Amino acid sequence: MIYLDNAATTKPDEESAERAIVYLKEKYFNPSGMYKEGFALSRELKSAREKLVSHIADPAAYDLTFTSCGTEADNTAVFGYARRGNAIATAGEHAAVLSPFSELKNRGIAETRLAPLEKDGRANIEKLLDLVDEKTTFVSVMHVNNETGAINDINALAKRVKAKNPRVIFHSDGVQAYGKIPFRLCKEVDLYSLSAHKIGGLKGTGALIRKKTLPIRPYLFGGGQESGWRSGTENVFGIKTLEYAAEKKFASLEADYARLNEYRETLFSALDKDIFVRISPKSGTPYILTVSARGLRGEILLHMADDKGLVLGTGSACSSNEKARYSHVALACGYDKETADGILRLSFSPTTKKEEIEEAAKILNACARELASRTK
Amino acid sequence: MQKVIIIKYAELFLKGKNKGYFEQAFFVNIERALKGFKHTLRSPSGRYIVADFEEAEEEGILNALKKVFGAHTIAAGYETSSDLEDIFEAAKLLAPESGTFKVVSHRGDKKYPLNSIEISREIGGKILEAFPCLTVDVHSPQHVIRVDIRENGAALVSGKEEAGAGGMPVGTGGKGLLLISGGIDSPVAGYMMAKRGMKVDCLHFHSYPYTNEQAKEKVVDLAKILSGYTLGTKLNVVSVTHIQEKIHENCAPELMITLLRRFMYRIAERYAKKIGAQCLITGESLGQVASQGMTSSNAVVKDLPVLRPLVGFDKNEIIERSVKIGAYETSILPFEDCCTVFLPDFPAIRPKLSAIEKEEEKLNVEELIEEALSTLEVISL
Repeated sequence: MIYLDNAATTKPDEESAERAIVYLKEKYFNPSGMYKEGFALSRELKSAREKLVSHIADPAAYDLTFTSCGTEADNTAVFGYARRGNAIATAGEHAAVLSPFSELKNRGIAETRLAPLEKDGRANIEKLLDLVDEKTTFVSVMHVNNETGAINDINALAKRVKAKNPRVIFHSDGVQAYGKIPFRLCKEVDLYSLSAHKIGGLKGTGALIRKKTLPIRPYLFGGGQESGWRSGTENVFGIKTLEYAAEKKFASLEADYARLNEYRETLFSALDKDIFVRISPKSGTPYILTVSARGLRGEILLHMADDKGLVLGTGSACSSNEKARYSHVALACGYDKETADGILRLSFSPTTKKEEIEEAAKILNACARELASRTK
Repeated sequence: MQKVIIIKYAELFLKGKNKGYFEQAFFVNIERALKGFKHTLRSPSGRYIVADFEEAEEEGILNALKKVFGAHTIAAGYETSSDLEDIFEAAKLLAPESGTFKVVSHRGDKKYPLNSIEISREIGGKILEAFPCLTVDVHSPQHVIRVDIRENGAALVSGKEEAGAGGMPVGTGGKGLLLISGGIDSPVAGYMMAKRGMKVDCLHFHSYPYTNEQAKEKVVDLAKILSGYTLGTKLNVVSVTHIQEKIHENCAPELMITLLRRFMYRIAERYAKKIGAQCLITGESLGQVASQGMTSSNAVVKDLPVLRPLVGFDKNEIIERSVKIGAYETSILPFEDCCTVFLPDFPAIRPKLSAIEKEEEKLNVEELIEEALSTLEVISL
């Protein structure tokens, strides 16, 4: 099987999981325990936090709260800091931000405003800035769009937002960026979400990186773990696997970036241009290539490719329900329904091999030609 | 004194000489519904008594029994000796603490020293003494306590009788093959026929890769819900992908649905005969969609009757039943059971049979049917 749905989840990095297995088998203690074994674990969590922050920011200025997933990190950010006035996000955000935004509105907590996207999936910066006013309390812009791979320059954006209203809390969903894109957080970014299983860690582990100066606004209440930021006994095994996986990812980040960029272009150039149009911008993440087999159904192609041993993602679903059928991102980018219908997402990991890329292109071309002839 | 659940049957008492056959089927069906629960089942004349079950499972048993067709009422209660003191002890356990009540008695044993009015009076009087907050209301009481004196020196004492599923025991009304989609109607149609005692197997058409696994799984879930009432069913799945492609390739697009439907009926009839079903069942309701009109387009079914139990129902009436049988939430999941890729913009509303047959001549109907049947997958639920 050729697995090209790494933006959905990656295969856990075996070496990292092996290294962490001691926390499953021997050091299974509760980090809140008052005995020395528990305390030792709480110190290990502290160092894991610092290491994970240090890859992208200064641990003196930023802290990190472990969560159960990227979605929880996003929810914690939105419900913790969008508490009055208006909150702004882009129309291309992940559902983990957009759905909490709908809730803000439904519960009457804050007015919500969505900024439009550029054709490639980036936020339309000028229009977003137009939405910021003196009542804006919270702005959330994803770092890398999970459907098109477009990269938002969140540092520049955060600076401009704060120039307009310095009291805004700026959040970015970094789930598709952390460990994949070279960058450092500037001081204007207050909150940053990440997820372990997109970089070789395990499902069930996520984190919210946050400025140390922010007031504590927990999303889950209880035993006061994570210094009160997130109650619930810490998933030590998941956290340590994340720590090790991130360590590996960041060590080879630049090399992976360059290689995958080449693979992405190789793959696109091998696709039949009479069928496939490119959705992902060249300036986007090398980890994602999104194309559209315009006029064909992405989901049908997905099934056909699956039967031929190629696993990939799609931006549309076989549904007569328009909301379920088309990706909100594709529509927000301004693509017509025919293009939105044919969207396929191929996403890579450092373990993706060149031969797999070549084979994937062949399978996709064959499936698309076959489907076109069967439904013409 | 022993905790029991008492089931009374519905229409079976109308049966004459073959009543025994229906009673036996009902008995077997109750046993099947209670598979997995520790229990015993007896049927002294006209009553079915479930006993020896775990008290914690009582609610689960009651819920399972509510799905068994043939049951008129179901009530939790006690079996005691017919001694008045014992009956009173049981009645005390069932009596509410306050409000209005009455005692309804029935005397199966005509040699019992008290008649039913006297029994009610005795037990009612004792309950009034024991629960001073209760009052008697014989016309519209809030609570009823039933005393049923049986012929073998035993008595059944029960509280509220809940309505059973009604109808006839499944299996006593032949066997039908239900054409099941992922929609709201077909599971209800299957339910309606099962209620009249029909054993129902299901046939579903899918068109992978144009439809997905979720859509099929949804049908599996619906068939499972239905099987709670039919006491097991077989879901047969046949792929019509190739047929759709051939129609699309060769025939007039506005006839796509009609032509595909005719194929489905032909496949269904052929398969029904093979598994010994005596009829086809569909969820069609007159005029609901373009292809459900009074046309001759379905005339391909030659030998078997096609039962359409929902034919005169409005959509709202169907939805109401779907909710009642617990299928609605699954039915409205947004997975397509029929791919919209091949759907024409304007399906023909009253296609002429001659036009349909002309289009069919362009296809090798027999070969396509056999090929579709070769994709058959059978899922036992």
